[in-house]
Amino acid sequence: MGLTDLPAPMVGPPGSPYTSAPPRPGLLDRTLPDPIKFVLNWGRRYSLWVFNFGLACCAIEFIATSMSRHDFIRLGVIPFAHGPRQADLMVVSGTVTDKMAPAVRRLYEQMPEPKYVISFGACSNCGGPYWDSYCVTKGVDQIIPVDVYVPGCPPRPEALLQGILRLQEKIAAEPVSLRGGSRGAAALTAPAVPPPAGVLDVPPQDLPPSAPVAPPTAPPAPAVPPPAGAG
Amino acid sequence: MTPGEVGARLVALLGEGVAAETFGEVTVDVPASRWLDAVSTARDDAELDLSYFDWLSAVDGQDDGFEVVVHLWSVRHRHRALLRTRVPKDAPVLPSVAPVFAGAAWHERETYEMFGVSFDGHPDLTPLLLPDGFEGHPLRKDFVLASRVAKEWPGAREPGESHTGAPARRRMRPPGVPDPAEWGPEAGRA
Repeated sequence: MGLTDLPAPMVGPPGSPYTSAPPRPGLLDRTLPDPIKFVLNWGRRYSLWVFNFGLACCAIEFIATSMSRHDFIRLGVIPFAHGPRQADLMVVSGTVTDKMAPAVRRLYEQMPEPKYVISFGACSNCGGPYWDSYCVTKGVDQIIPVDVYVPGCPPRPEALLQGILRLQEKIAAEPVSLRGGSRGAAALTAPAVPPPAGVLDVPPQDLPPSAPVAPPTAPPAPAVPPPAGAG
Repeated sequence: MTPGEVGARLVALLGEGVAAETFGEVTVDVPASRWLDAVSTARDDAELDLSYFDWLSAVDGQDDGFEVVVHLWSVRHRHRALLRTRVPKDAPVLPSVAPVFAGAAWHERETYEMFGVSFDGHPDLTPLLLPDGFEGHPLRKDFVLASRVAKEWPGAREPGESHTGAPARRRMRPPGVPDPAEWGPEAGRA
């Protein structure tokens, strides 16, 4: 595994270089009155466009959560964003393999700030039943930071609803900033991240030389004569 | 044709090989030198007509080498056969059947990366499923699962471990989990 180009883990014990700094309250957070801060966070917590990274059987439970019986739209979670660049929340549901991990990372990087991640199910929490596998990433938090972990194998839809509520509590407690959180305004406009070199390169195929297409010398006769009286 | 007739016909056409019937299916063992011959004969013979390639994989027989198995099916006659051959562990090379069944190319790529069995004449023998830079062949029995060596299986594996009162069995060591005294940071200390 020495040559695998995976990024370094981004979570760690407090104080380690892998732990991202907690957001510092900015000027806006100190000067705005509390009702305004509440309204700003209230708007963000109840309009979470969610992007489902479904990788295994947990994705079925996610879909069940989005359907009419459990219906997480009533919590303000809007399913099926058109792509990662329109999404606020990514739900990683399923077994993350080492082969898939760079793709998870790339889609996360394209999400605009502020962005949140829910790790749904035992596999994406820690590897789950595949903890001793040769090819399964032992937790999606090794490649992207995770806000809420939902345990279970697979978790019931109610568990995801509870996880969403916990995430909304977390958003409500955040310091207010109009400049894209602690990472600056540039992060608000996440550009498209190109794939790593060689991933989408199609090797040249040895195709047989196609015969040159001769231009038709005469317009082809219509196969079906127009019915009489048509038009 | 019954499974026995399919096996007998294939052995008669090849002039060598052993057919054995197990669980209602016939398995024909052929020498590795006749591998390509056996697969193309099974496909081209009008009575056998095993023209549907289902899958190709391998079995790690440890000291006996690798058994490469291909499963063929006749859509017209609705019968099937398993063709099997054996390659030595130190030089696991076999002619590719991709010229006979184009769909076998991906199965051979998977067998190549999972077992390290190489296929001569394959158009593009590159890794298929494993991430870039993966070292080793993970479906070989001697591939070490480092997580399992570092941490015991957390559940109860044997009677007697789960407080049921049953007597404990002899401890088994699954493939891929060497003795910590032989492999790992504790090797040679015990």
